[in-house]
Amino acid sequence: MNSILYYPGCGVADQARSMETAARGALGALGWEMEEMERWNCCGTVYSLATDDLMRHVGPARILARVQDAGHEHLLTLCSMCYSTLKRSERFLTEERDRLDRVNAFLDDEPDYTGGVRVVHLLELVRDEIGYEAVEEAVQRPLSGLKVSPYYGCTLTRPRAVGVDDPERPRVLEDLLLALGAEPVSSPQGVECCGAYLTASAPEVARRRAGAIARAAARGGADLMVTSCPLCQYNLDTRQGEAPGASAHAVPSLYFTQLLALALGADPAVDEQVIDPRPVLAARGLAVEVKA
Amino acid sequence: MADAYPRSMRESIGRVEATRPERMEVEPQRLSLEERREVLDSFHPDYKEGGKRKLLVGPSRGEFVPHEMADLLEAYPLIDPDQVDLGQVDHEVDVLIIGGGGAGTVAALSAHEAGIPADRILITTKLRHGDSNSMMAQGGIQAADKEHDSPPIHYLDVLGGGHFGNDPQLVRALVNDAPEVIRWHEKLGVMYDKDTDGRMLTIHGGGTSRKRMHSAKDYTGLEIMRVVRDEALSRGIRCLEFCPTVELIRDDQGQVCGAVLWNLETEEYTVVRAKATVLATGGWGRLHIQGFPTSNHYGATADGLVLAYRAGAGLRDLDSVQYHPTGAAFPEQIVGLLITEKVRGMGAQPLNVDGALFVHPLEPRDVESGAFIRECSSPEQGGRGNGVVTPTGMVGIWLDTPMVDIIHGPGTFKRELSAIWRMYARFDIDPATDPVLTYPTLHYQNGGVVIDATGATAVPGLFAGGEVSGGIHGKNRLMGNSLLDFNVFGRRAGIAAAEWARQAKPGRPTLEHAANYAQELQGAGVDRERKAPSVLPEYRGERTLARMVDLI
Amino acid sequence: MSAEQDMIRIYIMGKAYEVPGGLTIMKAMEYAGYRLVRGVGCRGGFCGACATVFRRAGDYKLYADLACQATAEDEMYIAQIPSVPAERASWVLTELAPEDNPILALYPEVARCVACNTCTRACPQELEVMDYIQAALRGDIPQVAELSFDCVQCGLCAMRCPAEIVHYHVGQLARRIYGAYRAPEAGHLAARVQETARGDFDQELDKLEQMSKDELVELYRKRDVES
Repeated sequence: MNSILYYPGCGVADQARSMETAARGALGALGWEMEEMERWNCCGTVYSLATDDLMRHVGPARILARVQDAGHEHLLTLCSMCYSTLKRSERFLTEERDRLDRVNAFLDDEPDYTGGVRVVHLLELVRDEIGYEAVEEAVQRPLSGLKVSPYYGCTLTRPRAVGVDDPERPRVLEDLLLALGAEPVSSPQGVECCGAYLTASAPEVARRRAGAIARAAARGGADLMVTSCPLCQYNLDTRQGEAPGASAHAVPSLYFTQLLALALGADPAVDEQVIDPRPVLAARGLAVEVKA
Repeated sequence: MADAYPRSMRESIGRVEATRPERMEVEPQRLSLEERREVLDSFHPDYKEGGKRKLLVGPSRGEFVPHEMADLLEAYPLIDPDQVDLGQVDHEVDVLIIGGGGAGTVAALSAHEAGIPADRILITTKLRHGDSNSMMAQGGIQAADKEHDSPPIHYLDVLGGGHFGNDPQLVRALVNDAPEVIRWHEKLGVMYDKDTDGRMLTIHGGGTSRKRMHSAKDYTGLEIMRVVRDEALSRGIRCLEFCPTVELIRDDQGQVCGAVLWNLETEEYTVVRAKATVLATGGWGRLHIQGFPTSNHYGATADGLVLAYRAGAGLRDLDSVQYHPTGAAFPEQIVGLLITEKVRGMGAQPLNVDGALFVHPLEPRDVESGAFIRECSSPEQGGRGNGVVTPTGMVGIWLDTPMVDIIHGPGTFKRELSAIWRMYARFDIDPATDPVLTYPTLHYQNGGVVIDATGATAVPGLFAGGEVSGGIHGKNRLMGNSLLDFNVFGRRAGIAAAEWARQAKPGRPTLEHAANYAQELQGAGVDRERKAPSVLPEYRGERTLARMVDLI
Repeated sequence: MSAEQDMIRIYIMGKAYEVPGGLTIMKAMEYAGYRLVRGVGCRGGFCGACATVFRRAGDYKLYADLACQATAEDEMYIAQIPSVPAERASWVLTELAPEDNPILALYPEVARCVACNTCTRACPQELEVMDYIQAALRGDIPQVAELSFDCVQCGLCAMRCPAEIVHYHVGQLARRIYGAYRAPEAGHLAARVQETARGDFDQELDKLEQMSKDELVELYRKRDVES
């Protein structure tokens, strides 16, 4: 069994435990174990663009320092936003010695962070470490005939320097879906923002965006969408129903970890969504039992 | 790191460790009632000659109370009745509650639950809302809620602990309401220690025949007080802070109908008119009776006894003082602070300088304290001279705290007794590995204002609950019955006050009773300089006090 | 130990006083002549009234502790916090559903936590304050309840927080939700309350209440003690 240190992040730990449970099941089937950090704090969620506001990097730096202190080199994330914030912060701090020194001076209740922790998204782990061939071999329940529209959102691939894939023409979800036996249905909306940033201040924008993304997926013939971020997932799942004229083309969405777990026979829970994905799964011969 | 204990104490700890394996094997012997009597008569401070005197005036004239208490009861009003204009009313309410500790806050919640609107209730307190001994209670609260226990069994324990001097009706109310109180707390969100099925984790306290001590770690009082205060806040019940009561107001028919407060910061007085008044002012620990250190809150200066007595309420059992056996005796900074009885409940034994167990760890508090004093007193004083002497000359008894982890598993002490652990850790002492030194500390006012089972005093319109009242515990309170007391009688007093307020017709307010009392004192030849309530204890340096002059 | 009687110099609100060494900050202030009204309470480390901030000679850091627990040191600059202005959000326990988690709705500033850990450093109880705020942020009420349990509500965390969070109110909210709704109920307690309400023990208590002292003493002597 391989093991990797894992950072859940607040969204996963609170509303999106199903994303994590599915990831654990799937990775277990692939011979990997996620070891949750003993103590962790919020990554900061939104990466600060102010270059002189080092306080915003204290949270990520504390996480990285603890990873290093625990003797680990890699840190696994599931949430796209946590991934992006942690990875960008790691780069920003280690780019200039002075920044690191100043943050370390503030973090005098932690061991110094010296740089070098590699933040890894689960999609990268699967692609680069485990490999799609191994995934294909481990598939127990091929997702044959299931048409899936990958939804990348913003932070998984942007900015280019830290993204897991090309921001404009990403493939990582498509390739994974292929390995699972599903049929990827790429959508022009797949790399556009879902509006989650505005879900509290301007919900009508989020509704409009969610509706547009769902319609594009439906036009491509997708049964469902996959996401890699609790915020995108929440937005697509709950806001598209609120969009004008939405009910005609409600497209369920799932975390990629849930489809991965389903194909690997790890039996994920998929009953937390507002738009129930079970009918479309059942229609493709992938009935999932409701868990107590 | 340097050893926190000096060499002589460290050597004695060596003897404690040497006797430990053998002590762990043997069940300690309890004293018979006759042996208890002997310890009390010879060594409990209550039975010492010259510590008390008979009251000269008032409803309990002729009764013995400690000098420190008598000095306050035989004292003139702090505020001159002629200086107060009762016609200028600052607050007019249905129920006034004097005291913002456990009893007062529970009384306020209960009056509210009995139908008095939140804005017709007013809590007033000398310091901040919640400042009280309630907050400091560590070990637990008794309630007979397990299958093999019952209120009647609890009843007998209370009486035995109080040397059968308790008011039976009050004891009955105490034990019978206890389960309901815990249930009420549970619904308010008090985090009691429970197992995973919700069963309360209960242990013995001194003098209990069943394990009925419920706890919230060793912050039981803090947890209850935090919750009831938060609940009062959420209901919008007001609390006037930093406003000690300096006199009760009576009407021309002798009913209590409010109080005169004094703002500690602006030094102005405030008049509160109320249909019913609940006295919940706590006890007397800060009087330092017989010079003892105390575990009590800064505000525990017996103000309520003074106010009630002047207004005509009788007092009882004030000849008996509770000394908690295990006050800290080392290091100097924490002398007198409490080490909860829960520590002994979890197995720690009291030991002398040779590491020998000389008394059962869980006798009732007065007996246990008497036995500690006997062990520490010199042979010339009739004692055994087996105490442990500290560098500052204090004498104490070891409490073998490492036994807690040996019995219950490593880490238990730090987890379950974190308040005590923290208190010692500041001075580089780890009670999980080294014993701690203790000596009795002034802890509780066993007696107080006479009340009936509803919380009513003999004065119409005046109710009382909590430590200020007497009769519940007789001559000695058992551990875990004070948290219970303020809940049961705070609640009963709050309900009774609400009922009284609904039909009360207050007459013309006066302070005549205070003026009359002053005349009585004068007749008895009491020094005019002596004034009460004392409000705050005096701890300023002697040099400062000697040079203090009032200029502006 | 005799060295403790040596005099030290402390600065109370900026003014120098000579006091004996080895006293707590509170006792040192009283020795110097202060009659405390604010910044004093139980004097035993439970009530949180005596929140105090201080600096040590030659040290840039601002420390925080309880005046009744911390020992005064030579050249210490001391100021007490008379009161902590911090609003308790308006909420009523019985209006919450058992599964509710209103922390972020009532205290949205929790989300401003940047994990700087200043609260933890300020805590005189040495609680992991930042960790419980982080747990609050992710909705982990049991964790908040457990980590905040020993809180004496002195408010030093709230006074030092750059994000202006009122940690101790957040802890109180979580603990009450946990105690009332998340912790398992005590079945034996509910059963006993039914029995007392029904008056199941009344007869026995009537009898005890009527007994003479001698009868009671005899009964007490014979009582069995649970081991």
